[in-house]
Amino acid sequence: MFEWLNAHIAYWHWIVLGFVLACGEILLPSFILLWFGLSAVVVGALLFFVPMPLSGQLLLWVILALINVWVWFKWISPSFKTKSLSGMAKESMIGQTGLVIECNGAHAGRGTLRFTIPILGNDEWQFICEDAVEPGSRVVVRDISGNTLIVSASKSNSNTV
Amino acid sequence: MEGLYIAAAFVGLVVITVFKGVRVVPQGYKHIVQRLGKYYCTLTPGLNFIVPYIDSVTHRITTKDIVMDIPAQEVITQDNAVIVANAIAYINIVSPEKAVYGVEDYELAIQKLIQTALRAIIGEMALDSALSSRDMIKEKLKAGISDDISDWGITLKTVEIQDINPSKTMQASMEEQSAAERQRRAAVTRAEGAKQAAILEAEGRLEASLRDAKAKVVLAEASARSIESVTAAVKDNELPVTFLLGEKYIEAMRQLSESDNAKTIVLPADLLQAVKGMMDKVK
Repeated sequence: MFEWLNAHIAYWHWIVLGFVLACGEILLPSFILLWFGLSAVVVGALLFFVPMPLSGQLLLWVILALINVWVWFKWISPSFKTKSLSGMAKESMIGQTGLVIECNGAHAGRGTLRFTIPILGNDEWQFICEDAVEPGSRVVVRDISGNTLIVSASKSNSNTV
Repeated sequence: MEGLYIAAAFVGLVVITVFKGVRVVPQGYKHIVQRLGKYYCTLTPGLNFIVPYIDSVTHRITTKDIVMDIPAQEVITQDNAVIVANAIAYINIVSPEKAVYGVEDYELAIQKLIQTALRAIIGEMALDSALSSRDMIKEKLKAGISDDISDWGITLKTVEIQDINPSKTMQASMEEQSAAERQRRAAVTRAEGAKQAAILEAEGRLEASLRDAKAKVVLAEASARSIESVTAAVKDNELPVTFLLGEKYIEAMRQLSESDNAKTIVLPADLLQAVKGMMDKVK
């Protein structure tokens, strides 16, 4: 069997396998098969020039695939920007700047702020702030806790209203 | 030969490992990753890589708004009326890890929380204000359960009171009340009308009497003046007056005789004397 395989696996087998794997990407939502397919095509191309034993071909294929996947995840995929924050409530809220419209006298560090546009379906939110803020100062959202925002005083409070 | 087996096994291992290590999270979801049973991280939408065999995706949580139907429940208002209220809530899971580990079943928890909060809020209101002030109920609901759900990493975006209806018996008595009220108003209106009519009628009579009296006075004054002018005209000269009276007397007689009922007319024999007698009376 081993000899048979060694004798009968031609370079174009690898290339066809590569294309089949790349096509299999359609069926599996993983973005993995494409790299295995690409590696198989590369192995086929190398086999056309350099004859190799079958185990060597397999090892080369796997190593190439691993390198591909790793490069993809390490350098290429992180550079893809998030195009929409819809359905990501936390991400769309954190970092927003709001205007303090009132401070709760009875409850130090609590109050109400307002955004210029409604965020998460509301433009007025209760907030909790450890810094000293007064109505008119700007605050930046750090976290959400239920229907209350955890905020801190904005650095650029020069443009207070 | 062994080399081929090892290579084939290695290929299999790599394929399985890579498949287990790569996670594609669709937009609108977040996946919770546990490392050996402990929470490790939350995967955001897009391609993610986890360490195979020790990391596992245990929960797939939607971060889209969830619409929750809060079932109808009977609520007793401050003035002891029973109303049936149901609501609809829109929640959003902000921190999936808190929602997963903070509460067993967040939908059930929030549903029960809203139900009890709604009951408490309406319980502090009178029936009429509960039926008419939905916005206030909404605000109070949001504020009331905000702290409770903060531990579960959930934001309550809005609560809308869908229906708020008095119970069947309450509805019947309310309808009865409004019908009675309308009947009362009808009766009052009728009485008002009758009163107005009576007043107007009396006023009419008063006005008519006044005018009658005035007319009598005017007539009397006119008679007096006419008598005065006749007297002034006659003075001591009786004959023409006697003549005129006689003529009128005879005319009256003629008219009496002309009427077609049976009659017996007694005429004075001495007409002139009779008239004179009248005239003497006047004098």
